[in-house]
Amino acid sequence: METLKNAFDFSDFPRMDLVIAGAVALVFLVFPLFPTSSYAMATMIQFFMFALYGMGWNTIGGYGGQVDLGKAQYVGIGAYTTGVLLIRWDIPFWVSMPVGMAIAVIWSFIIGYPLFRLKGHYFAIATIATSLVLKDLFTVWSFVGAARGLEISPITYPPPDYLRLIFREDIYYYYTILGFFFLGFIYMNWFRSSRLGFQLRCIKDSEDMARSLGINVHWAKIKAYAIATAFVSMVGSFHVCYIKVIEPVDIMSLDLSILIALMAMLGGAGSLWGPIIGAGVLIPLRSYLKEWLGAAAGLVGIDLILYALIIMIVSAFEPRGIWGIVEKVRRRKRR
Amino acid sequence: MDILFGSLAAGILLGMVIALVALGLTIIFGVMDIVNFAHGEFLMVGMYTGLLTAQATGMDPLLTLPVAGVVGFLLGVICYAGFIKFLIRGPMVAQLLGTFGLMLFLRNLALLIFGSSDRTVHHGILVGKSFEIGMGIILPATKLAAAGLSVIAFLAVWLLMNRTKIGKALTATALNAQAARYMGIPTEKMNALAWGIGGASVTVAGALIVNFWAVNPFMGLLFTMIAFAVVALGGFGSVPGAFFAGLAVGLIMEIPGFWDFFTYTFDWMWMADVPMTSLKYMWIYVAYFVIMVVRPRGLFGWKH
Repeated sequence: METLKNAFDFSDFPRMDLVIAGAVALVFLVFPLFPTSSYAMATMIQFFMFALYGMGWNTIGGYGGQVDLGKAQYVGIGAYTTGVLLIRWDIPFWVSMPVGMAIAVIWSFIIGYPLFRLKGHYFAIATIATSLVLKDLFTVWSFVGAARGLEISPITYPPPDYLRLIFREDIYYYYTILGFFFLGFIYMNWFRSSRLGFQLRCIKDSEDMARSLGINVHWAKIKAYAIATAFVSMVGSFHVCYIKVIEPVDIMSLDLSILIALMAMLGGAGSLWGPIIGAGVLIPLRSYLKEWLGAAAGLVGIDLILYALIIMIVSAFEPRGIWGIVEKVRRRKRR
Repeated sequence: MDILFGSLAAGILLGMVIALVALGLTIIFGVMDIVNFAHGEFLMVGMYTGLLTAQATGMDPLLTLPVAGVVGFLLGVICYAGFIKFLIRGPMVAQLLGTFGLMLFLRNLALLIFGSSDRTVHHGILVGKSFEIGMGIILPATKLAAAGLSVIAFLAVWLLMNRTKIGKALTATALNAQAARYMGIPTEKMNALAWGIGGASVTVAGALIVNFWAVNPFMGLLFTMIAFAVVALGGFGSVPGAFFAGLAVGLIMEIPGFWDFFTYTFDWMWMADVPMTSLKYMWIYVAYFVIMVVRPRGLFGWKH
């Protein structure tokens, strides 16, 4: 009961934030009721997925300050578990998603234990290495389709299939992922004021101090890493039902890992709203830059050039992200 | 036995080239404590420079090395003065993602200008020639030249770092930038110089590699990761370490060759079923991970 109360406790935010957040949540709820293009719908689903990825990354990367650039491997584990279980043994999504999360968490313990002996750059690059090793292994493993990957055929599972999460219209996927999004958000709100959340922030400030206060630094990091992993793997499972195709080169790519970290950082790492703002800015920007500049004007790559420039400018001049700017403006006003 | 000696020779040659690629990264990391994700893209710039200069002027690709070196030096200095200088004030996550942005920028700029197709050098003194020594050892002239240049470049950088005043200043900046500033060392200039030397060494490597490796806008990331592995194996910031780690990584990349040797020598046919060639690069990451966990300083590292 106490836990539930903490999860819904938003009292430390200014009232204006909550009004805006409530309004945005309302817009999310009614968005599909108004006729929009299917492209906008797909972009919204992408946004929720990346907001969830970003929330997961935020636990270890934002609150804990450990820059993890290997999250794509857990997207892959989640997606492959759901895909393989469905295709081989016809196990529905709602069973295979927790199984995938469990497998991902176990794997995160196995590699997290040695990984967290490293710090800073060394840790970041080591996470990339583990992710790439897993990608290469899945590319040659014929049981999971090797380099061709897996494909879920909608003919075998006639939509709408609520158990296996196979639908023809995007609106079903929209509300499913929206549900996950709200759950994840509530969980994150609980997490930031939980014991582990405070421990992580202490570790981020000074590891030696955290140790002197009796925090088991290594174990706290591994726990946060497992939480991040569970989030990412869950969305990975959803991803395979939504896209219906897994290609190891795509789903475990370094670009995805870095995009996840980027979301959270651009919005503001280590804040509740950060990943949501980051995903809300970057995902529509990416989709529509591609649509308008890449496809329409026939200039290949120009969308990603602009995208890269935004990344460079933000990381050089406002490394605390958009939420950092908001807080700075507020502090100035208060004075 | 032929496969074994052939793989060994090929691995060592490749290793020397890879060491040259990683040299720039280890200098930049050693002096500034920043990991440059755009390193492979610098290599790509060098490759395109060599290729286009050769095509435009009709020169032999080998003679374009100085051009590539100048371009690389300017690229490094411009990147430092225009971008990295601001980036290093921020936290580490911003640094990592910022250089990733630089990588994305250079990659897609190349895509916009040159298109996504592979390009290769067709003419040149070295292209297509090779020496056969026997026992399965084949030394392609292009790789031999690249390996020779690699040794020269390593000696030059080692001498620069250890025998000149500029090298002392660079080392001082690396050890403690603030103290170096008190001693009157212009640390800003030293950082820019490190980026210049780092950029020049990697673009020269690129202009050589283009003789035997096709260039396209997406090839940078693989080399970035290989260079990371080399630098980590040798110890971040260690110049001799990078050389020996380069050799080690070259041999690791020839693991499929050794695998074939064992398969056919001992006739273990189960080994033939393992798709080793597809796992070629995986061993580099495995080696990197193991080295980082067991000995985070790397084999020759002095900085931790």
